[in-house]
This record gives sequence, structure tokens and C-alpha cells, in this order.
Amino acid sequence: MNMIHVQGLEKHYGDLHALRGISFAVERGEVVGFLGPNGAGKSTTMKILTGYLVPDGGSCQMAGIDVVPGDPGSRRNVGYLPESTPLYRGMRVDRYLDFVAGLHGQERAERKASVGRVIEACRLGRHAGRRIGWLSKGFRQRVGLAQALLGEPDVLILDEPTSGLDPREVVRMRALISELGKEKTVLLSTHILSEVEATCSRVIVIAGGQIVADATPMEIARSGEAELTVVLRVPQDQLTSFSTAAIGRDLAHVPGVSRLISSEDCGGGTVRLVLDVRRAPGSLARSGEPVAELVADTLAKRGWKISELTRRSDDFEAAFLEITDPNRMAMAGPLVRGDVTGPTDSESPEIGSSNEIESLGPREGNAEGEGGNA
Amino acid sequence: MSSELGTVAWVFRRELGARFDSMSALTVTIVFALVAHGLYFFLGHPVGDLQLPSLWAGRVASLQVVFAWLPLLFVGLIPALTMGAWAEERASGTEELLFTWPVSGRASVLGKFLAVWFFLGLVLTVAILPLAIMVSSLGNLDWGTVFGGLLGAFLLAGACIAISLFLSSLFSEQLSAFLSSALLLGLLWSAGLLVHVMPPGLADAVFYTSPYAHFFDSAARGVFDLRDLIYHTSLMVFGLWCNTLVVEGRRWA
Repeated sequence: MNMIHVQGLEKHYGDLHALRGISFAVERGEVVGFLGPNGAGKSTTMKILTGYLVPDGGSCQMAGIDVVPGDPGSRRNVGYLPESTPLYRGMRVDRYLDFVAGLHGQERAERKASVGRVIEACRLGRHAGRRIGWLSKGFRQRVGLAQALLGEPDVLILDEPTSGLDPREVVRMRALISELGKEKTVLLSTHILSEVEATCSRVIVIAGGQIVADATPMEIARSGEAELTVVLRVPQDQLTSFSTAAIGRDLAHVPGVSRLISSEDCGGGTVRLVLDVRRAPGSLARSGEPVAELVADTLAKRGWKISELTRRSDDFEAAFLEITDPNRMAMAGPLVRGDVTGPTDSESPEIGSSNEIESLGPREGNAEGEGGNA
Repeated sequence: MSSELGTVAWVFRRELGARFDSMSALTVTIVFALVAHGLYFFLGHPVGDLQLPSLWAGRVASLQVVFAWLPLLFVGLIPALTMGAWAEERASGTEELLFTWPVSGRASVLGKFLAVWFFLGLVLTVAILPLAIMVSSLGNLDWGTVFGGLLGAFLLAGACIAISLFLSSLFSEQLSAFLSSALLLGLLWSAGLLVHVMPPGLADAVFYTSPYAHFFDSAARGVFDLRDLIYHTSLMVFGLWCNTLVVEGRRWA
């Protein structure tokens, strides 16, 4: 079942068209990163999902229940940590959590148990009797997370949960989120791209009020500017007749290749070509066919042998900048899962000497490592 | 419905607790008691239609002077108690979180209102009851007028609190909330003085719509009038309704 189901969300703030038909779905157990530049519409979307704001159009369901802003019952299944963690600073941590549990309709014994449980889960034990205003930013953030967990929600919406924390607290918070992601569906927004790679199995990128990408962190990283460098050997029989420019023209027509960046005759029948394989609109690569394979196929048909095939893709941050560029969006449309050539294209049997350089590999191991430390 | 009453009770508890957690509760009570007692013993009530001597000058065992001053004291006291109720929630962002919990706008408005009203009731009792006990030991105090006055003052306070809370919900700065509601309550109070310079028909209309008209002629003299109850209750309902509309309306921002 989809734990978060969002269909065609629209929101205006006066003249500003903040959300332009946002639609996505998140399944149980997914930890989804919600990325985008400032003012992209992340917080607005989250406020609508949690029932605080009323959308101008569209609908959303959380854990199968329609979110109706006027109806308190429809938000029982959602835990929310807003940006900047607003808390009643004059209250003691335990009393604050007791208050929130009470608002969730829990009776005395149930409150005691659930407050104890979230204090334990967020490691607030030593600070339970202290005023929230006296706590450090890191602990206040944990109190914010603790209140989000109180109603035993299936879905957690976390708006920039690590902003303003010191690096040690960031690691702890990420570990906590990864831990929670084992049981709950988590949607978290952030500006920190490495955070997404560390904690999220999927990324939704939003810019200018619309979704510009919905893919795995690695797919996003691969969608950035990429170059394919091909070093090929021309067969003996064509040595006298081949033209570097003609080869370049041939390859420039391969779906997924947007242009030939450079071509160089290295002598002795060896040609070095650099192709721009950044995702082009309407390219076959969008349906998942690896560009490298198509290039290799084309060359094989001509009887040319590949001696080297190297892909250089930029990192996640570069990809993010490119995806959220308003000009690109108009040109290429959104990036969705399966769009980008997968990691297998470097291992394609047809490309014997391929040597794909990944400037940014999957970081699952990293996330686990952090989880283990906490 | 029972769960809604439950949330009202939780909001009430939190609001009341927040007042006692800070020093403001003690400060407000002490200042209010000092001012009321000072006016009662030394100044009397030389303002408006209800002119009264101080206790030492008049030597009458009655608390009328205190009750006559209450409306003007409320002009400073009630905005001070209500200014943070919504403005601070809005400024700190806790309002957003409050409305993502299973709490309706109506329940939170009612909870906050009841908390401030209850707190003000405590302040009134703490400030006036010792005075009544002292005066009754000096002369023959009519306790009926004391309770009638207290009840009337409590009703008037309810109406003023509902209006002030509504104004607090319009601002995100406590100072703006304080000034605007002090200004409004002050204008309503001074309407009682201005009626003398207005044409008779207008003066009656203005004075009758002022909450204080429903206090000076009855409760301040120790008389409890059912029409005052109806008037103040309708004002409370109106204030709370506007307040709910404002906080719920922010969802459509």
C-alpha cells in the first residue's frame, strides 16, 4: 500500500504559484529525500501533507486516509517535525511529551509508556526533567523528533531535521532516522546532498513548484553532465578511407549522445572521441537503454574495435544543480526512476575494456556504518 | 466530542501551566493587587458617573471602589495576559505544530480562553478576597454585593479576554497584540466618559454597546443582572468565534 499518495497538488500564495501539480507516491518502509532549492515548494508540500495547509487543488492520502485539514482525526497517522523545530521552550521535556501524547488522546498508562518509549528512542533520558529552552540545539531537535513519534505514526514528515546541528549530532540524527526508516515511511527534506545519499533510498527533487526528478540518489548523480570517452581502432582495410569527422557524426546520432565534444586522430588508426552523453530530451536512454551499449553497437556494426570506453559522470551536487536549473526543466522534462543508464552498462559484455569511473558510488554501506556507531 | 473536550482540557492545562512556570503570573498578581489596594485605600473612584471616596475618606464598609476601578485595570491587565497566547505561538512556529496534532482550531481557542479566564479569576480572588476579609473585620460588609461584584467582574473579564485573544491571533508580535487590545479596551472604557459630549441618542447607543455599561450600573454596585450575563456571554461567543475563524483561516494562507 502507498503510505503517501499525492495527486496534483496546487498551491498559490497570492501571485506566487508555489506548487504546480505535484504528484508522487511513497511505499511503506521507504526513506525518501525531498530536495530542492530554497522556495521550491518543499515546506509547502510538507505542510499540506501534515494537514496544516489546505491545497488549492489536488489531494493527498497518508496511510490510506484522506488528509482533511479541518479534521483532526485525519492526521493521527502522521508525525511531523517542522523546519526550525518549534517547541514550547518553557516546558520540561517530559511534560511537553506528556502534553503531546494527551492531545493524541492517550490515557494515563498509555501516555506514560509512549513517552518513555520515545525518550528512550531519541536518547533523551538524562534530559527528561529539564526545560526545553535550556537544551542544546541537538537535543531540542531530538525532542522535536520525539514528539513526532508519539502518536505511533506510520508516516514521518521531517523538514530539514539536521539543519543547524554540529557534525556529531548530524551523524546521530541520521542514524536515528535510518533506524526509524526500518519500520516507518519517512519523507525528509534537506539541503545537504550527502545526507540524502547517506539516508535515503529514493530522492524526489522539486524546483519551481514541480517535481523535476524522482529517482535513486545514484540515478540522480548519473544524470548530471557526463562524458563518454571512446578510444577505438580502425580496421586495417579502412585505414586509408576513414575520416574522424565521419565517425564523430555517426556517433552523434546514437540516441543518448547529444553531441561530439572532441575528436582526435592519435595516429596508427587509433581515434579518440569524447561524447557528451548528458541526458537529452526524448533520448532512448530515458527508457533505460545504456548509451554506452548503443555506442558500442554502432561501432561494432562498422567493424571498429573499442580499445577503451570511459564514462565520467559528475557528482550528486552537480547533478542537483543541473536538474533544478529552470532552463533544463523546460527542455528535458522530469527525471523519473529508470531514466538513467544503470550501473550495469559499464559491465556490458560487449564493452570489453570498459572502465567506468564513478565519482560517486552508492553509499548504503556508509549509512549502515553510521547506524552502527550510534 | 469527548476527545475534543479532552483536547480542550490539555490545551487549558498547558496554557495555565505556562503562566505559572514563568514569573509573569506572580508579577501580574502582585502589581494588580498593589494597584487595586492603593486605589481602594487612598484614592477612591473620582472618575465618571460613579464617584466614590476612598476607604479612609468615606469610611464605608464596601468594596465598590475596587469594582469601579476594575474595568480600567483590565485595560492594562487583560492584554498583558492574552498578548502571548497566539502571537507567541505564531512567532515561534508552535502554532503550525499545534495544528498538525489531532487538535481542532475550536478546541485550542477554547482551551486558551478558559486558561486565561481561570487565571484572571484566580488573580481577582487573590487580590480582592483578603481586602473583603479585612473590611468585614472593620465594619459590616455586605458579602452579597462582594460576590455579585466578583461575578460581574468575572463576566466582564471573560468578554474582554475573548476580544483580546482574538486580537492576539491577528499579530505575530506580542507588543502589537498588547497595544491593539489595550487601545480597543481603553476606547470602550472611555466611551463611558465621552457619552456626556455626544448627542443623547448616539450616547445611549454607544454606551449600551460597551461592555463596561453592563458592569458599572449593576455589578460595580453589587447587583447581578441577568441581561449582563446574556450580553457578556454573547460577546465571549463572538470573540471566540472570530478567533477560531482567524486561526483556522491561516490554513488557507
